[in-house]
Amino acid sequence: MKIRTVIAGNVALFLLATMSLPAADQLATFSARSGGKMRIEGTANIIHPTWQIESPTIGGMIQVGPGFPTEPGQTVPLGKVEAKGDVFIPVRSLKSVEEDGKHYSDRMDEVTYEHLKEPLFKKIFYHLTELTLKEAPKSKDAPYVFDAKGDLAICGVTNHTTMVVNILPLADKKLEITGKTAVKMTDYQVKPVDINLVLGHITTGDEVKLIFKWVVGPARVATTESK
Amino acid sequence: MNENESDALGHNRRDFLKGGSAATLMTMLGGVELFAQTNAAPAGETKAPAVKIKVAVIGLGAWGREIINTLTRMPHADDPIEADIAAVCDTYPAFLKRGGNAAPGAAQTPDYKTILDNKDIKAVVIATPTFQHKEIALAALKAGKHVYCEAPLAGSIEDARDIALAAKAARHLAFQAGLQMRSDKERLFLLPFVRSGALGTSLLARAQWHKKTNWRSTSPNPEREKALNWRLNKETSLGLIGEIGSHQIDQAGWFLKALPTAVTGSGSINFWKDDRDVPDTVQAVFEFPGGVRMIYDATLADSFDSDYEMLYGGDAALMMRVVMGESKAWMFKEVDSPLFGWEVYADKVPFYKDTGIALVAGKSKPQPVDAQGHPIQLDPLTSTPLFCALYNFLRNAAELDAAAEDYRSSYGADDVAGLMDQLGKIVRRPAADYLEGYQAVVTAVKANEAILGNKRVDLKPEWYELS
Repeated sequence: MKIRTVIAGNVALFLLATMSLPAADQLATFSARSGGKMRIEGTANIIHPTWQIESPTIGGMIQVGPGFPTEPGQTVPLGKVEAKGDVFIPVRSLKSVEEDGKHYSDRMDEVTYEHLKEPLFKKIFYHLTELTLKEAPKSKDAPYVFDAKGDLAICGVTNHTTMVVNILPLADKKLEITGKTAVKMTDYQVKPVDINLVLGHITTGDEVKLIFKWVVGPARVATTESK
Repeated sequence: MNENESDALGHNRRDFLKGGSAATLMTMLGGVELFAQTNAAPAGETKAPAVKIKVAVIGLGAWGREIINTLTRMPHADDPIEADIAAVCDTYPAFLKRGGNAAPGAAQTPDYKTILDNKDIKAVVIATPTFQHKEIALAALKAGKHVYCEAPLAGSIEDARDIALAAKAARHLAFQAGLQMRSDKERLFLLPFVRSGALGTSLLARAQWHKKTNWRSTSPNPEREKALNWRLNKETSLGLIGEIGSHQIDQAGWFLKALPTAVTGSGSINFWKDDRDVPDTVQAVFEFPGGVRMIYDATLADSFDSDYEMLYGGDAALMMRVVMGESKAWMFKEVDSPLFGWEVYADKVPFYKDTGIALVAGKSKPQPVDAQGHPIQLDPLTSTPLFCALYNFLRNAAELDAAAEDYRSSYGADDVAGLMDQLGKIVRRPAADYLEGYQAVVTAVKANEAILGNKRVDLKPEWYELS
């Protein structure tokens, strides 16, 4: 292959890629900051009617277009906003907790990792594909309410999900993104837990609630796409 | 403590009594019972491979080799931690060879700095003579290694403070003082029992360590003889009260949830009249708040009744001792003490004029079983206090490393303050930390001072604070 052909091909690919992306210089990039929390709640048998696991670590980034509310009190029209993002949670950062947040059991943690096939799938991923503002805040301290569409990948199985997320621009240019959704673990080929612990036998239900608070701030380092 | 008073861990007597009643009911139903968690995995589960941690052992005397032997048992069964002994270190060639034989495949070096330079080694266990701990511990923390430092941490309060402050500053690392009783499953099982006031009003504590041994190692030349027998020289050793007693005294304070306020001691060389200047027999009385005293004695000249620790309360006394490496405990109840219920089913052992009710983990019933009715077997080799302590150390180290890696991958490497904050919130497995290690040295140093001076020493609360 001639060098000129290779260069021409690469230029064409670059142009094609650029055309398919939103204008990079119009996107504001926010990356994860500490202070977030992922909580997964489930049901179980009578001895332990509920269980919960938590992670203080939610990583990733979100890129938003000009119409996205990044300041408190900003007026933004309802409807679809330009946004895309990738979020992840390291599986081993998930810890079983009591209802009051105290650590529950090492064994329960290990069972969680085993069921989520942790050595093989180290992270839970979420890819945001579409964000629609459906409710403007009623006060300056209230969040913007969005419908979020995206893909959730657990244990290597990806499913499309839709959920309501609340986005609250904070005074320090950070965004607090909260929300919750319910998923069936069997949809991700995760078997319900069936285990004997010292305090009794635990069998978990299929449906779990994912409750999250994700804090992002202006990206400290430019991403590859926005360079 | 009255029924409704809670300690810092949230234990109170009423809750414990309620727990006892529930346990009795559940026992009758074939369900819950009071025994410490085992590492046995439920049958039929697929397990993730253990996390392998490269660790080095520095100091290969008898205790250092015991540490190697214990580490080689990890992973045990389905435990998620595997100790990979990557290097062993001792300046004495004979010890280095023996330690190396116990850890096949481990690099052997007389210079601990080569271990600290090895980036693959994440954790070190320091089992050198006490007076050498400070230099190695500080260098290891500076090199970013997780550190398990044998107790006593140091031979002086100043050295112990330096170590503790360095450990306090290195929150991203696991630092553990070798007070292994604080990680022992049996003791952790008993702690809420005692703290809940189950023994009644605290009256007295007592502990002893009796062994017929000269504490002396033979050596080929005078220089080596002096180096090997550092414990017999008061310039380099805190003697029996420091090298042995610090574990038992710390345990009493841990259960009583208090630090001693004064110590009166005495000691003498009664039997081994060689060139040593460290007493072969010591006694000390530690005063705790509320009029509770701990009586301690240790001797190298008589082995009767070996070693154990006692706690006495108005309702019951508790004996804790290690038998064949395994922790055991018995309760001796007063006739007018309240009935828990579960003790009806517990193993009982005759002790001269008394009957001891077994409180040993897994022995509250004649044969503990899992939910399917299968007998649960406890493995004595992996139930020793040392195994529990080293396991918790490596587990904490792995947890911190994983959390730091996750944090950096999520939030970048620049947010050091956020990382430290998050690592500070990591739930650590029970273990003696830098402060407890430091406080044990304060007590041991002052007790040794009392013993050598045949006197009483007030223990000022501010001495126990790290500044």
